Amino acid sequence: MTTPTIELNGLEVQLGGRTILHGLTGVLKSRAIGLLGPNGAGKSTLINTLLGFHTPSKGSARVLGLDSHSNGKALRSLVGYMPENDAFISKMSGVRFVRYMAEISGLPSEQAMERAHEAFVYVGLGEARYRPVGTYSLGMKQLAKLAQAIAHGPKVLILDEPTNGMDPPARKRLIELIREIREASDICLLLSSHLLRDVEETCDEVLILRNGQIASICNLVEERRANRKFLELETIGAEATFTTALESLGCECAVFTSGRIKVVMPDSVEIREVFKVAADRGVQIRRMNHRRDSLEDIFLNAMEQSGVADGRL
Amino acid sequence: MAVYKRRYNPYTGSLTPQWSRFFVLTRFAFADLFKSRFFVLLFILCIIPCLFAAGYIFVANNKTLQLLMQLRSDMDLFKVESQYFVVIMMVQTQAAFLLNCWVGPVLIAGDLTNGALPLFLSRPFTRADYVLGKLAVLGLLLSAVTWVPCLLLFGLQSGLARNGWIWSHLWMVVPIVLCSAIWILTLSLLSLAVSAWVKLRIVATGIIFITFFIPAGLGEMFNAIMSTIWGRLLNFSYMLQLIVSHGFREESGRLARRGWDEIPIPAAWGSLICLCLLALVILNARLRARETVRG
Repeated sequence: MTTPTIELNGLEVQLGGRTILHGLTGVLKSRAIGLLGPNGAGKSTLINTLLGFHTPSKGSARVLGLDSHSNGKALRSLVGYMPENDAFISKMSGVRFVRYMAEISGLPSEQAMERAHEAFVYVGLGEARYRPVGTYSLGMKQLAKLAQAIAHGPKVLILDEPTNGMDPPARKRLIELIREIREASDICLLLSSHLLRDVEETCDEVLILRNGQIASICNLVEERRANRKFLELETIGAEATFTTALESLGCECAVFTSGRIKVVMPDSVEIREVFKVAADRGVQIRRMNHRRDSLEDIFLNAMEQSGVADGRL
Repeated sequence: MAVYKRRYNPYTGSLTPQWSRFFVLTRFAFADLFKSRFFVLLFILCIIPCLFAAGYIFVANNKTLQLLMQLRSDMDLFKVESQYFVVIMMVQTQAAFLLNCWVGPVLIAGDLTNGALPLFLSRPFTRADYVLGKLAVLGLLLSAVTWVPCLLLFGLQSGLARNGWIWSHLWMVVPIVLCSAIWILTLSLLSLAVSAWVKLRIVATGIIFITFFIPAGLGEMFNAIMSTIWGRLLNFSYMLQLIVSHGFREESGRLARRGWDEIPIPAAWGSLICLCLLALVILNARLRARETVRG
């Protein structure tokens, strides 16, 4: 049995006398986890708690089986963190800044320097690596933060609003980088964002927070797989024999007016078999849609749902 | 993650021991400091009194040179005893104060200004490691102008003097190291605390000066109003002077004549230790990965 990436057991966090996270309980097993929620939902507080910056008032949080409070140092040795806000040393050159951070993570001086150069080139700031970080544009600072987060080769990469302040091409490039990093190694990713698209493009599982409570945990991979098997057809000439033939393949069909049919296909059935049945019976398929229950729908549903006051699913 | 491949590779090499990582901060801070010509000049100026002191010791132990300089050998002018080291210590501690005023205020402020602290603390690196790393910068720097040159002067005198001078004066090693240590610790913690509180160097330097002068004035006012001596506990420079004089067995000398030794020595130590504790409380409050907004 593999260790879950994140385990929350009744996690409650109080800050300044206010309860920010209300008894979060859930298990997230995917390698790429998105953290969604409106402003003030508790996303950054959850990240800070996972990093050991905040002590839980009740319950616990575990990352890769390590308790964020009692095994904080061991946990942080696995983590690369890209904070939401400005975080740099303005007078240092970019490459020296990343080398500095890599050395603090434990890399010997020479390797730290080598990895700093590599990380800078990798994120696309190779030309600007000798400039002081303070002179970088907002987008470049974001990339420099990503470089310092990956230079020491972490096992868990925590990105807090990574695309903040980036123009569309830079955002696209950053999302590609994040996907590349995810694909290129066995790194686990926790990405917090209020941009659904960022999460949808990079993550396999989503934790949606609302008012410091879990509104939903959704496995996007399963959701996408389920969507692929749910078809909406607009047909001409479809008769009962067509749906019967589909049902004989194992599909579930619902027939509506004007030749509209909804079909739920089992895993064993491919779309071309639907076309074949239609061709055999002279049925014209004028339109075919996969159900597109996007992350936006999931998010909006989670926000509208009631009965999540206890923070449990 | 080789440059030419432009792809991400995890790091699989060796890691440095965890206990040694605080020294990365020290190393980078030193590299930054020695880039500044002003700092190098200031550092050299702080060492210069020791060169004069070394020259003094050389002359004091060289009868031929004294004759050449037409100095009478029975003159008590060149005498290297505890009083000599008290003077050197007081000069060097003031030099350390100046050096500290230049270096200390920027050590933490630079990291706090642009929110770099979460980057340090999101690694296997504690707040204690962070303070230790920064403290080591000031510790090493101030040591280089206080007890290290004083011990070298002691060694020089021991080498040049005859009649077993070293054995009869060996006890002076303890006050040289101990008095320097408490002063270095006090100055370092205070300037780190100020650096964690104030971002502008000039303001931070001002606050360090104020910490040494305003409480001393307030203490004297308190003494005058309450007809007591305990207000002097706020005069940290004189507390050090008291500790140094006592350490060098000079309590019946100059300070006694000025009435400063009315404060018990443990109280003087307590005064400096309290200042250190106050600085630690400030550092504990300010060095947080995240600020908590109350309410």
